[in-house]
Amino acid sequence: MPTGLLFKDELQGFYKSKVMIFLWVGLPVIALLFRFLSAGSSGQELPFTLISSIVVSSIGGTLAAVMLAVFIINEKNRHVYDLFLIRPIKRQEIIVAKFFAVYVCVAIASAIAVLVGAVTDFATTGVLPATLLSDAAQSLATTLSMIAVSCGAGVLIGVISPSVLVGAILVIYGGNQISVVPLIPELLGLPDAAIYTIALALAFAAALLGLAAELFNRKQF
Amino acid sequence: MSAFVTLRDLTKSFGGFSALSGVSIDIKEGEIFGYIGPNGAGKTTTMKILTGLISSFQGQVTIGGYDLTKNRNEIHKLLGYLPQSVAFQEWRTVNHALLTFGKLSGLTETQLNERIPRTLELLGLGDVRYKKISQLSGGMTQKVGLAQALLHEPKLLVLDEPLGGLDPLSRRQFKDIVLGLAAKGTTVLFSSHILSDVQDVANRIGIISHGKIKKIGTLGELKAQFTQQRTIEVLLSGSSDKWQQLSALNGVSGVTQPQQGVVLVNLEKDTQEDQAINDVVAAVAKLGIRVRGVWLLEPSLDQIYFNYISEAEN
Ligand SMILES: Nc1ncnc2c1ncn2[C@@H]1O[C@H](COP(=O)(O)OP(=O)(O)OP(=O)(O)O)[C@@H](O)[C@H]1O
Ligand SMILES: [Mg+2]
Repeated sequence: MPTGLLFKDELQGFYKSKVMIFLWVGLPVIALLFRFLSAGSSGQELPFTLISSIVVSSIGGTLAAVMLAVFIINEKNRHVYDLFLIRPIKRQEIIVAKFFAVYVCVAIASAIAVLVGAVTDFATTGVLPATLLSDAAQSLATTLSMIAVSCGAGVLIGVISPSVLVGAILVIYGGNQISVVPLIPELLGLPDAAIYTIALALAFAAALLGLAAELFNRKQF
Repeated sequence: MSAFVTLRDLTKSFGGFSALSGVSIDIKEGEIFGYIGPNGAGKTTTMKILTGLISSFQGQVTIGGYDLTKNRNEIHKLLGYLPQSVAFQEWRTVNHALLTFGKLSGLTETQLNERIPRTLELLGLGDVRYKKISQLSGGMTQKVGLAQALLHEPKLLVLDEPLGGLDPLSRRQFKDIVLGLAAKGTTVLFSSHILSDVQDVANRIGIISHGKIKKIGTLGELKAQFTQQRTIEVLLSGSSDKWQQLSALNGVSGVTQPQQGVVLVNLEKDTQEDQAINDVVAAVAKLGIRVRGVWLLEPSLDQIYFNYISEAEN
């Protein structure tokens, strides 16, 4: 199954180009910094678990979208794909593998950041309120589904943008904001909003990915 | 034998610019087809169309009995391709690139374990197997490009300027590899600006200019149709003016000495070449001229090329 092979390949690429280190160490470190900054300024200390979730959801999505867009534009313009496209695989597999590779990497980074938050809370206060944990778990689930939307947007922007610069502009214009769309049920205050949010996010991400794959299929190299 | 690759009336424009118009080429199985033409003539565009990288074009492409627009995947199973400027992801090592591309072309792990070292050895890349491609020299990167094209032993090799950046010894090795593959039935389409290399390996040659095919044929056919002054070159040892008397020979239209020690004997239109050479040899012997060599000047592919291209320019 070429998609699986390509997926594994991408992960190896992230590992070898040190993307993973920067993600998995960087995101928790940023969350830590936020904690100490907010502790210093506000006086009222927020639970670290919560701060981690907030940081991850605001940064993780942009990160995922930028990564995918830049990756794809860069490799497209360097004609790296030519050697893949002339082999007996479906074109969209390249795009789908990239999507999942970045998603998995960012998702793991997010989970690590939130986990570090929970551990730090436990270490400093000695207690870990069950409500706080379930809040964190729920916000992580929401965050992860929003990151999926950002990934979809990143892939689409990567496929349509002629240059890295245009890609960066598009991500900042819309790539991140678009991940807010699944939050509509939450904003409307629907009961069980989280479930709708996750479902909506997954559907939206799939639609973006499908559109990107279709455009990639028709692309001239 | 019917053609393995058939290109029919390929026409492609970029915006308003016509890059190819009505290009038709047939390549037989096991044939090495050399594709030459000036920069921007449309060689790469032709190759991108037949590898499926460019999918919007007019015309028809059939490879191994498959129609490109209907069976791209089947054609991709037959194909090995070297792009004009081959590029790999920065993080890849030679080994990793070949593993990935080999698997995507349908090779098993066991096959790869045997073929990767063999192919690298063949191309003189044995030492750099575990190096990052981004750290290799230009010529070596080009060879990694060749390795990925050859690894899965494709039925059709499409090579866009495979000799660019290769040193003379590597060019020779590469030509031997291609000749060996073709002898075993691999069909090869390659473009090049190094006409002597094309002359060395190509069974047939196509000349393209401004998106149109100017001429297709074997080197012999191209030479035969090439209407230029036929000339016998005589290399003299020692200086003597007796050579001027060669102009009196039957079928000779004139004799010149472009430089000391070289005499050119121009033949009349219907003079038989072998007879003329005989006559010249007999004449110099009779005149007591000491010679180091006598031969018919054949048009080189360079001359033929320039002729067709300048025709196209005018
Ligand atoms: N993507 C593109 N968009 C616009 N024009 C293009 C594109 N690709 C090729 N062309 C144009 O088509 C023409 C043919 O280009 P092509 O690359 O096929 O030439 P070539 O024969 O391979 O030349 P070279 O020997 O320099 O490699 C050129 O004029 C080129 O500018
Ligand atoms: Mg070219």
